[in-house]
Amino acid sequence: MSRGWGPAGGEVASGKGMRKQGLQRIRRLGRYAGPYRARLILAIVAMFGVLGCTLALPLLMKTAIDSAILPGDTRLLVLIAAVVIAIGIVGIALARVETYFTGWVGERILNDLRTDLFQHMQGLSMGYFERQRTGVLISRLTNDVEALQQLVTDGLTSTVRNILTLVVAGGILLVLDFRLALATIIVFPLMAVLTFVFRGQSAKAYGQMRSRLALVTAALQEDLNGIRVIQAYRRESGSRAQIAVLNESYREANRTTVTSSGWYFPTVEFLAAVATCIVFGYGGYLYVDGTIEIGVLVAFIGYLASFFDPVQQLSQVYNTFLAGSAALDKIFDVMDDEPTLVDAPDAQALPHLIGAVRFEDVRFGYNPERPVIDGLSIDVAAGQTVALVGHTGAGKSTIIKLLARFYDPQAGRITIDGHDLRSVTLASLRAQIAMVPQEGFLFNGTIHENIAFGRPTATRAEVEAAAREVGADRFIEELPGGYDEEVRERGGRLSIGQRQLIAFARALLVDPRLLILDEATSSVDIQTEAHIEEALQRLLADRTAFVVAHRLSTIRNADLIVVLEHGAVLESGSHEELLARGGRYRALYGDWAEAISR
Amino acid sequence: MAHDPLELTSGTEARKAFWPTLRRGVGLVRDHRLVLGISIVLAIAGQIFTIAIPWATGRVVDEAMKPKDTDQLRYLIILILGLAIGRFFIMYLRRIISGTMAVNIERDLRNLVYHHLLSLSFPFFDRNQTGQIMNRATVDLTTLRLYLGYGILFFTQHTISIVAVMAVLFWMNALVALLVLVIVPPLIILAVVYARRSQPIVTEAQQALGQVTTQAEESVVGIRVIKAFGQEQQEVERFRERADSVFAYNVEATRLRAKYIPVMDFLPTISLALLIAIGGYAVINDRMSLGDFVTYSLLVGLIVMPLRMIGGWIGDTQRFVVSSQRVFQILDMRPSIEDLPDAQPLPAGGGEIRFEGVTFGYRPERPIIRDIELTIEPGSTVAIIGRTGSGKTTLTQLVPRFYDASAGRVLVEGVDVRQLRLDELRGAIGTVAEDTYLFSASIHDNIAFGRPDATDAEVRLAAERAQAAGFIEELPDGYGTMVGERGLTLSGGQRQRIAIARALLLDPRILILDDATASVDASTESRIRDALVEVMQGRTTLIIAHRLSTIALADRIVVLDEGRIVADGSHDELIGTNDVYREIHDHGLVDRRFVNADGDHVIIPVGHEEGVT
Ligand SMILES: Nc1ncnc2c1ncn2[C@@H]1O[C@H](COP(=O)(O)OP(=O)(O)OP(=O)(O)O)[C@@H](O)[C@H]1O
Ligand SMILES: Nc1ncnc2c1ncn2[C@@H]1O[C@H](COP(=O)(O)OP(=O)(O)OP(=O)(O)O)[C@@H](O)[C@H]1O
Ligand SMILES: [Mg+2]
Repeated sequence: MSRGWGPAGGEVASGKGMRKQGLQRIRRLGRYAGPYRARLILAIVAMFGVLGCTLALPLLMKTAIDSAILPGDTRLLVLIAAVVIAIGIVGIALARVETYFTGWVGERILNDLRTDLFQHMQGLSMGYFERQRTGVLISRLTNDVEALQQLVTDGLTSTVRNILTLVVAGGILLVLDFRLALATIIVFPLMAVLTFVFRGQSAKAYGQMRSRLALVTAALQEDLNGIRVIQAYRRESGSRAQIAVLNESYREANRTTVTSSGWYFPTVEFLAAVATCIVFGYGGYLYVDGTIEIGVLVAFIGYLASFFDPVQQLSQVYNTFLAGSAALDKIFDVMDDEPTLVDAPDAQALPHLIGAVRFEDVRFGYNPERPVIDGLSIDVAAGQTVALVGHTGAGKSTIIKLLARFYDPQAGRITIDGHDLRSVTLASLRAQIAMVPQEGFLFNGTIHENIAFGRPTATRAEVEAAAREVGADRFIEELPGGYDEEVRERGGRLSIGQRQLIAFARALLVDPRLLILDEATSSVDIQTEAHIEEALQRLLADRTAFVVAHRLSTIRNADLIVVLEHGAVLESGSHEELLARGGRYRALYGDWAEAISR
Repeated sequence: MAHDPLELTSGTEARKAFWPTLRRGVGLVRDHRLVLGISIVLAIAGQIFTIAIPWATGRVVDEAMKPKDTDQLRYLIILILGLAIGRFFIMYLRRIISGTMAVNIERDLRNLVYHHLLSLSFPFFDRNQTGQIMNRATVDLTTLRLYLGYGILFFTQHTISIVAVMAVLFWMNALVALLVLVIVPPLIILAVVYARRSQPIVTEAQQALGQVTTQAEESVVGIRVIKAFGQEQQEVERFRERADSVFAYNVEATRLRAKYIPVMDFLPTISLALLIAIGGYAVINDRMSLGDFVTYSLLVGLIVMPLRMIGGWIGDTQRFVVSSQRVFQILDMRPSIEDLPDAQPLPAGGGEIRFEGVTFGYRPERPIIRDIELTIEPGSTVAIIGRTGSGKTTLTQLVPRFYDASAGRVLVEGVDVRQLRLDELRGAIGTVAEDTYLFSASIHDNIAFGRPDATDAEVRLAAERAQAAGFIEELPDGYGTMVGERGLTLSGGQRQRIAIARALLLDPRILILDDATASVDASTESRIRDALVEVMQGRTTLIIAHRLSTIALADRIVVLDEGRIVADGSHDELIGTNDVYREIHDHGLVDRRFVNADGDHVIIPVGHEEGVT
């Protein structure tokens, strides 16, 4: 089976565009550092100090050789040794400050970013969640933020430190001995070219590796989610084979990174040795000529190390950099995805809801070119119960999603008590409506927590009362943990009907002014359903309700029955009116009648 | 409470069985040991060359520069170049060989763990959260592969280089070596203490991160409910709490790092100072050559990194052991349901099912179904009814052996299912579960899930029988349309019909329909029913339903209550004797009266109802 996913992110944009964008991204990330500026500055100052300490050592070595050892000055020798120790102590203190504050700021930024991202995601519209795969969204909040972690807590500072070291060490080399420095520096163009090639290679390989790894993990995730179907249909070997193929292609990409770092790093080491040879070859002649001292040569070797190490480290950090900036891209992509459903600037809180609902010539399609709802008009008086009836796929659930404003219509409008849904705040709207969606999703947690989901402050007595209304109390009390029983992922420890009852109780607990039931009792036994219907009669007395159901018994009691076909109203009226009309409802009714009369 | 053997634990208890777990974890590289050996040899060779270069540098000072001997200078420089070239080739080979080994180890590990996971049985997945399992399959696996692919190699290489550098230092001048190496014990102690102290925090941080992942997952999957109840802010608060706890642990880890690492970084300056003072003094007094002095200063630089790595390595090893334990827990989970060594093929037959004194509970202390005695004739259609939670689904799940009965036996074609080949048993059973799960693949692939080799015509036929062909053909890409994750871009009824088609395509001997038309409208349901009447010919069918309309398809009705069979018989037999059934029936009757009142509908009488009233 071929999965319907493209590469799950990690696509590498290459070339200059990316670098430029990368910088913008990092600048944007930098804004997160704003509030912690003071700490950051402290860290940077400390970093300079540490750098000074580190770079002073070869210079001290040179002084020791040239001014103390060779002339035989033991007092100076001891003094230098003491200075070295002092530098060590100062270095420790400064490095502590640097490590702590860069770490702290980095973690803080990540934490802020993660929470912001989560908050932003929660605000995105339903359409967004339907387009994206769960695994991908989760990985934005986890893997991608993790990938940034290295960059933020380590990568950035080590980049700055390495570049600084490079510049300062280069400067010192030039000051120590101009000729020798120029002679050694001829190695660097070569190094630059190599690094450039390597970067190109590894950027590509690295991006590929990441996106293929994401595919492997996503495949595993989906297989685990569907494991029951896989085993019921004996597709274990097929799934294994598929994972093995993805895994192998990941290995291939991985292998490419091995090849490129395989030649690059040994070459850098080799060039470092060549530079040493130049120092001694050319420096040796200069020494023989008497124009340079041994100490300078030794210091040169020391600084060459400070010169080559940063180059190596920079190329290592480069991977972190790539991963981090790819992750940043993806994170900011999500952040840039503006929620399409937001409160209008002049949105008002919806006043106490009375319940007159109007759909006025509404058109909507998940894909705007294929409207699912077209020319839909429904007029519901306050307090009425409306039943939506129609073939599967006729658009019943879609109407309900429009009413809860999960989506906005592409044409026409929906009003409650005369207020266009788009002119009121989402919070005030959703606070007054409650729905029992078709798939009664439960959260990992206790039964109590699930019922109280919409009103976490509800007392146990209120929770129990809601459970009683839907007749869920009977089975809950039989559970070993009662209301504190854990229902596990998606409510997996309960039967389907039980899950539906909990979802129903959850909706009742918020005491909504407008109740939406999308096949809320489709999997519940007749006895319980009858019980719920009775309760509903009472509960719905003064509230508006939208009900989707395929059961005649549920529909018959509705004040208004709306028969839908292809997203438009075919006919509407009360049960009796519709039967009398002899239209579509009558035909549906015939099917029911036939069904029960077998 | 005794630990449930199927439940995964945090793995930290592995610290007690440290050595056995370590040995077992390292044993995972068994297949690669030759390559590992070669890599280690190459790494050691490379290290020897690396040490030789500072030595040669010292010679340059003593033998070429001091005496101003240009021939010797030329010779030594060529020597250094030669060493560098040698090291280049060795390191290149080492990187390619060990890098390839590392990626192969990773692939093998992934296949091992992932493949094993797919073979585990339902009870395992009942007890453990997907997020938890995923965490092991990704985070812990990464720890394992890094340790096995690089850790062992680096450890060996670093140990060798420490020993070699120390040997060279002592060989050159024991006293100076001793003074210079005073930093080694404190460095090692610091590294160990640091590893010890930071390890638990790193583990805690990882666990906290796991919680962030779980919460992220739930909030994404349950977004509809969150939005419907306007609980976004509450979710954000919960998320923030968890993220904050990750932050707290990470800051603590940073604090420890800031405390120890700088000390380790600057400890070598003591060596340097001692070298300058004592070594310099020795040079002045001609007890040591300047070249040796230079060599010393370079070698001290070479030994510091490996020493620190070794310290870090201790922490890595602890983490490795915990991660190994966590992965081994999965690998050690035997599928609780698998073929017996002498499993038999499924005998030919018409799909007879028999329950003999069957009792079962998801947890042993809470039986869900009890003492079930039931024989289902080949080719018959049996409806299983009962209240929500009475155990209907549970009962049917014992037939394809998704679970094993805790007492009694389930027989298919007269053979205990535990003695049958699982593959053949499940192949003969088509299930339509009540919560439809579709994969993010095309509609075609979803229908052909159980028989990927099915032709287009077969897929179409199955779709037609399930009354799905109509809507599928209206979709822009027809059978090629991708359904979103879990099939969420389809309506509930559309999803259910695809699941029915998927089961029908198997052409199973036994068909289990668990409330398979709950989300389907009456007209479509009646057409599905008509199709089913045809499909059910020659198969044994178990139907779970709450509606009279569907129950009517059955020749026989079994009523479950609290996991026991309380009634069993035909419509006629039950109508007078069983409350549950009568209630369902009466409910249907209310509808029927309406039809009557309406007058001009021709009603086929409901069974013997006429006679009862
Ligand atoms: N998220 C979505 N993205 C794209 N198409 C969708 C999505 N959800 C539903 N559809 C399509 O919109 C149409 C109407 O679906 P809807 O869920 O409203 O049907 P319904 O009348 O509620 O059916 P049912 O009774 O089966 O629940 C269907 O053809 C369905 O395939
Ligand atoms: N995986 C599980 N772990 C623990 N308990 C479970 C699990 N699945 C179901 N149960 C419990 O077993 C009992 C029977 O569940 P089952 O799904 O068989 O009911 P059902 O008769 O099919 O109900 P419904 O009509 O609602 O589908 C319920 O009380 C339920 O809470
Ligand atoms: Mg069930």
